[in-house]
Amino acid sequence: MKRFLAMLLAVCMLLSLVTLAVADDTVNLLVWVGDDLDQDWINGVIENFKAANPDTTFDIKVGIVSEANSAATAMTDITAAADVYSIADDRLGDLVTAGALQPISLNTEDIIARNTTGSVAAATVDGTLYAYPATADNGYFMFYSKAYFTEEDVLTLDKMMEVAAANGKTVTMDWSSGWYLYSFFQGAGLEMTLSDDNTTNICNWNATDTPITGVQVVEAMLAIAANPGFINLTDSEFTTGIKDGSVIAGVNGTWNATVAQDAWGDDYAATKLPTYTVAGEQVQMASFSGYKLVGVNAYSANVGWAMMFADYMTNEESQLSRFLLRNQGPSNLAAGASEEVQASPAIAALAAQSAYATTQRVGSNYWTPSSTLGTIIYGGNADGTDLQTLLDNLVAGVTAPVN
Amino acid sequence: MDEIKTTVRRSAWDRFKAFLYLVGEFFAEFCRDIRDGDVWVRLSLLVFGAGYFARKQYVKGLLVTAFQAFVFIFYPTVLWPYLSKFGTLGTVKRAAVFNPVTMKNEVNDYDHSFMILLFGLIAILVIVAMLVFWVKNLRAVRRLQVLAESGKKVNTFADDIREMLNKKFYITLLALPSLGVTLFTIVPLLVMLCVAFTNYDQTHMVPTSLFTWVGFANFKTLFTHSQTITFGYSFGKVITWTLIWAVFATSTNFIFGILLAMFINNKKTLWKGLWRTLFVVAIAVPQFVSLLLVRNFFANTGIVNTICANIGLTGFLKQIGLVSQGSAYIPFLTDPVWAKVMIILINMWVGIPYLMLIATGILMNIPQDILESARIDGANALQSFRKITMPYILFVTGPYLVSSFTANINNFNVIYLLTNDVFVTKDQMLANSNAQEVDLLITWLYRLTQNYYNYKMASVLGILIFIISAAFTVFAFRKLIQGDREERFQ
Repeated sequence: MKRFLAMLLAVCMLLSLVTLAVADDTVNLLVWVGDDLDQDWINGVIENFKAANPDTTFDIKVGIVSEANSAATAMTDITAAADVYSIADDRLGDLVTAGALQPISLNTEDIIARNTTGSVAAATVDGTLYAYPATADNGYFMFYSKAYFTEEDVLTLDKMMEVAAANGKTVTMDWSSGWYLYSFFQGAGLEMTLSDDNTTNICNWNATDTPITGVQVVEAMLAIAANPGFINLTDSEFTTGIKDGSVIAGVNGTWNATVAQDAWGDDYAATKLPTYTVAGEQVQMASFSGYKLVGVNAYSANVGWAMMFADYMTNEESQLSRFLLRNQGPSNLAAGASEEVQASPAIAALAAQSAYATTQRVGSNYWTPSSTLGTIIYGGNADGTDLQTLLDNLVAGVTAPVN
Repeated sequence: MDEIKTTVRRSAWDRFKAFLYLVGEFFAEFCRDIRDGDVWVRLSLLVFGAGYFARKQYVKGLLVTAFQAFVFIFYPTVLWPYLSKFGTLGTVKRAAVFNPVTMKNEVNDYDHSFMILLFGLIAILVIVAMLVFWVKNLRAVRRLQVLAESGKKVNTFADDIREMLNKKFYITLLALPSLGVTLFTIVPLLVMLCVAFTNYDQTHMVPTSLFTWVGFANFKTLFTHSQTITFGYSFGKVITWTLIWAVFATSTNFIFGILLAMFINNKKTLWKGLWRTLFVVAIAVPQFVSLLLVRNFFANTGIVNTICANIGLTGFLKQIGLVSQGSAYIPFLTDPVWAKVMIILINMWVGIPYLMLIATGILMNIPQDILESARIDGANALQSFRKITMPYILFVTGPYLVSSFTANINNFNVIYLLTNDVFVTKDQMLANSNAQEVDLLITWLYRLTQNYYNYKMASVLGILIFIISAAFTVFAFRKLIQGDREERFQ
């Protein structure tokens, strides 16, 4: 029912767009940015863009759809999505499969040259650039309070949990999200990535012939779950925990940097993820290196100008002002090299973690099964299911063909 | 018992025969009209308005012919392109090339599977409607001929209009609602029905990709249980919980709502108004606000858990084994069993006040003379409750009970708002088909469409929900509500 209405609406909107386009030369663009707080920044960018293109009349409107939801919103009806919108890089594959994104064909070489290799790789599918890298800060790292930890302590998770437990506090991470769960398995050398068809996953977390087996990783995680110095908290619980003082360190991202900074003041610090003990060895925790990208709607009536705007919105100047106003780390090489950016602890931590980070290439069947596995492990595997069976089930679900 | 069954069966068979007879009669009449009609009537088969012109009903003749012309022009130009592709749902995929000179995409003339499905379906409906109109129109002009030949008065257009406002006013009144229901309920319903037989999903998203017919493959998937396809397993689990939930949600609210109303209505209860107001306040707060608040209260790190931990309840529950040893909190909304119990309890809290209001009204309406005579005959309070009050309440609220059971099967709000983002399933089989222990069919359907764009499986679920709800409603209304119960209170 809704789809039917949406289709009718879409048709009406398209028709009105067509008539409008015939009626006058004004270029109408709708831009979705991720947060209400981005308004000042994007309005500045729009003014600069207009000033840079004085020969054309623009009517650029701004909408707020968070990077986490924009892909889902766009895919509900891609013809009705914004002309230009911010997305998290993990949804790029789905959007490309749905045909929602315009392959970038203006100024492509410059865009590839001016951004970090990782961010360009994150915006590329099958050798085609589908989006503009906008930030390089969407990954995760370790926050900690210097009041409790020394720089030595934060090298291993074992030591961190020991310190936390001794103080009656906790170190946290969100195991109910496959996004964080990846850290342990990837770190141990197991594989989870997207196959060539861009929708199904490849996953060997149940491997028994690797140097570290999947079962050994799960055993290591069960030990962490049982440690009194560790707690599994979701993103919003993380902020609550930091504010009420029960959490003194945790794995999270730049979006919560200000919360930690406000709560801990001068004790606020950030670093790469620690190592954890698996099969008696110390193994560095891996991570997803997250990027925010800006995509252009393939169904936009002004697809050329939409590309020009997205290009402008992600250039050095715009990324630097985004960092200054919103504290979001640039993917632009020149902006990233600037003094201001170099001085930020969160950005430095991300840079340190980047050696152990991989680009997120994940199909939609990964999320629910991995989230379930994390929850089972944190619950101490209460049913006593054979660990290999747990992993076999996970791999069956994760690698199942989409639908 | 057997006798009743045969009567039901016979009457159903009779009805079917009667229906066949009607269909036969419809066509027989059509043939008779052609046989007996004059040349104008027969000409109406080609030009719909001919028969009206012959009887001097020019405006009507013009309107009908204009309508015919509109459909005959509209059909081949607008609907036929869709209908002609209905069999394949389109073959030409979208291809766009960016033209740097015009700064626009140059797009081929591609097929849009969903539009083809939608308008193809409308095209079929229009054909059926036109056929019926064609036959009915012939009937009408034949009647006019009979009227004219027997010398009776033939209505002028003004007469017809007047009739529409007087004798046939119901037609005028119902025209718009019926059109609305057809366009916005029946057509989308049929579209949904069709989607269940296609492969419309994340890898076949319109308008970029095409989808096509796959027969009963999706229904087969729903009942398949392998390691990669776990829909069969999930469906069994979800439907079981859906039915358990519907029974508990309906019965608990019903029983406790009536009990509450009776306590408040009791002669010995003081400040009746105060109590009623107190419970009605629970209704005044929008349901979704209360549910979201309660979800936060009962979160693993929520206020209720903090209190429970402080007063030692968490520890006690651990000792008696209701909460696992390693857990620092009571998993109110995160453990399947706890969550199910909590959902039913919280639903009681939001639902009982409604039932209390309804029951209060009914209790006040129980004929006092019946209760009075029962008391004189020596019945005690319990007896008159069992023999008079309860049957009366059941009789009056019967339809409400049936409809609330069906509503609870589809009670999206309570389940979704309480468990979304909070509950994560620990059953990997469920996870593989994106279901959860606490899911109703309707919330599962929602997740499949909103998060996984799995429209085909969602449509299959939608059809099953419809069948379950419809079957139950028909059964319940026929068995529970009809019968001799009406007479009992006369």
